[in-house]
Amino acid sequence: MELRELQRLMQEAITGDRLDAASMDAAGPEIEPTTGMSGREHLAIYRNAVLGTMLRAMANIYPVCKQLVGEDFFDAMARLYVRRTPSQSPDLGDYGASFAEFIADFEPAAALDYLPDVARLEWSWHEAFHAKDEMGLDIDALGQVPERALQSIRFRIPVSARLLESDYPIHRIWQVNQPDWSGDQSVALDEGAVRLIIWRQGYDMRVDTLSEMEWHFLGEIAAGCTLGDIGDAKNAAGIETLLPRCVQRGWIAGFELTGQDGES
Amino acid sequence: MQPATGRLRFFDTGRSARSVRRQRPMNITTKGQIAGAGIGLRPQHYADILDGTHQIPWFEALAENYFGAGGLPLHFLERVRERFPLTLHGVGMSLGSADPLNYSYLDKLKGLAGRIQPAWISDHLAWISSGGHYVHDLLPLPYTQEALEHIAGRIVEVQEYLGCQMLIENPSTYMSFSSSEMSESVFLAELATRTDCLLLLDVNNLYVSATNHGFDAEDYLGALPPDRVKEIHLAGYQEERGYLFDTHGQPVHPPVWDLYRKALRILGPVPTLIEWDTDIPSFGALVEEAGAAQAELDLVS
Repeated sequence: MELRELQRLMQEAITGDRLDAASMDAAGPEIEPTTGMSGREHLAIYRNAVLGTMLRAMANIYPVCKQLVGEDFFDAMARLYVRRTPSQSPDLGDYGASFAEFIADFEPAAALDYLPDVARLEWSWHEAFHAKDEMGLDIDALGQVPERALQSIRFRIPVSARLLESDYPIHRIWQVNQPDWSGDQSVALDEGAVRLIIWRQGYDMRVDTLSEMEWHFLGEIAAGCTLGDIGDAKNAAGIETLLPRCVQRGWIAGFELTGQDGES
Repeated sequence: MQPATGRLRFFDTGRSARSVRRQRPMNITTKGQIAGAGIGLRPQHYADILDGTHQIPWFEALAENYFGAGGLPLHFLERVRERFPLTLHGVGMSLGSADPLNYSYLDKLKGLAGRIQPAWISDHLAWISSGGHYVHDLLPLPYTQEALEHIAGRIVEVQEYLGCQMLIENPSTYMSFSSSEMSESVFLAELATRTDCLLLLDVNNLYVSATNHGFDAEDYLGALPPDRVKEIHLAGYQEERGYLFDTHGQPVHPPVWDLYRKALRILGPVPTLIEWDTDIPSFGALVEEAGAAQAELDLVS
C-alpha cells in the first residue's frame, strides 16, 4: 500500500467517530499483531492518545467552561467537537476557535445560555495572551498633530484587544471561576448585558467592562473610522470626554493620519 | 483592525532595545553548544530557572509553545536564553507525512530559531497529518524504502530551508507494519547517511518500543551511527495491560536507567535531557533527576 493511502486510512481509523469495521478492514492487514494484541487494539491505543491530547488542549483553553459544566460533561462535549472539527494547523495553540459556535448548537447545553459567550471570552483571552507586544500610544507624537489634521486621525485599539458583548454578566462568571478567587461564587444572571474589552497591557491580562458609549466609540475605532467619521455619528457629543478616558485606560494603542496629512 | 503599518511612523522612533534585537537577521547557527544534563523548559518553572541557584547547564523549549506573536511565553523564553543555552524541540513538522511540507510552520520555526539561536532543532521520525488535518500525536511509519526516500527528501528540504542540520528523534510506537523492510535503527542510520541529519536518542522511547514490539534494544543501540547522536532524552512511561505507554509523566524507570548506561558506554557523554510533558513535578524533582543523569555522564566523561 502506498504511504499516502496508508496514512489516510490510519488517520480515518484513529480520528473517526468510531473504530468501525470498514476502517479496520482497510488498515488492519497493514498492522503487525504483536505482544498478543490485535490490529484493532493497536489502533485503539492511538485513538485514545489522540483524543486525550485534544481534550487536554481544550481544557487548557476553556478552563472556566469546564468548571461550569463539570469534567464529564465538558469531556463529552469537547469530544464531539474534536470528532467534528479536524485541526488544520500543526500548532495545537490554533485549535478550538469555533468552540463557542459549537456549544451554541449543542443541545444538551441549551439551558446554559451564557456558556457560548463564556467560551468566546476564554478564546479572546487565549488570543490576547499570545498577541504581539506593542509600545502603547505615543502621546508626544499625538500632541504634535496639527489642529487642522485632528479630524483625519485614525486611532487603533491594542493588537491584543477583543471587544465582546453578552446578555449575561460573563465577566463575573469568569471571575468567580478563577482558581485564585476566594469570594462569593454566586452571580445573578439577570444582572444584565455587559460589554467587554479583553486585552493585554504589557504582560498584564485585563478584562475591562465598557460603558455603552465607550463600546460604540471603540467599536468604530476598531472598524477603521477616523475621528471625523465618528464625530459625524450619533455619539459626537461624547468624544471630548470619551477619547481622553480611552487613552488613559490604555484602550487606544496608536494612530495614523489619513488623507493629505498622512502623505509625506 | 490591521493598522496600515507603512504609516505608523512614530512606532519606528520608539522601539525598545528588546524589539530592536528581534529585528536581527534570521541566520541560524546551531552548533550544539550544550553539555551535561538539561531539563525540559516548562512554564511552571520559569521563576525557579531564572532564580539561578541551580546547576542545570541547559534547557529545551517545545517550539510550538512559543509560536505566538508576543506575550509572556516569549518574554520568559528570551530571559532564559540570555542565561542558558537552549534547544528547540518540535512535534509539528510531520516529517513522515505524505502531505506537502507546511511552510507556514517552517516559517514560524525559522523565525523563532533566528530569535533565540538554539543549540539544536529537533523533531521526530513520525507523521502527525494527512489530508491537511493534524492529529497532534506522533504516528509511526512503516520502515520501507518508499518511506525512507520520502522522509529523506523532506529532511534535506527542511535543513536547506532552516540553514542548519536537524536532529531526528525515535518515537515511542504501539504499532508496527507488516510492510516494514528494515528495523527502526537501520532506517535512522540510513536516514542520517542520506541527509547528513543528526540523531536524538530517546532512551525511554527506545525501551517502550523494544518492549512493545519485542526487539533487542542493545542491538538497536549498536546499529546507530555513534557520532551522529547529539542528544539523549530520558523520561517515564506507564505500564498498561499488554504494553508500555509513553506518558513522559513519570520519573525515569530503572530499566531505562540501565539502558541509558549502556547507551553512554557506546556513545560517550552525550548531552541528556530530563523530559516531562504531563503531571509536571516541582523543579526540585527535575533537578534531582538531572543530577542522577549527570552522575552517569560523569562516569563516562
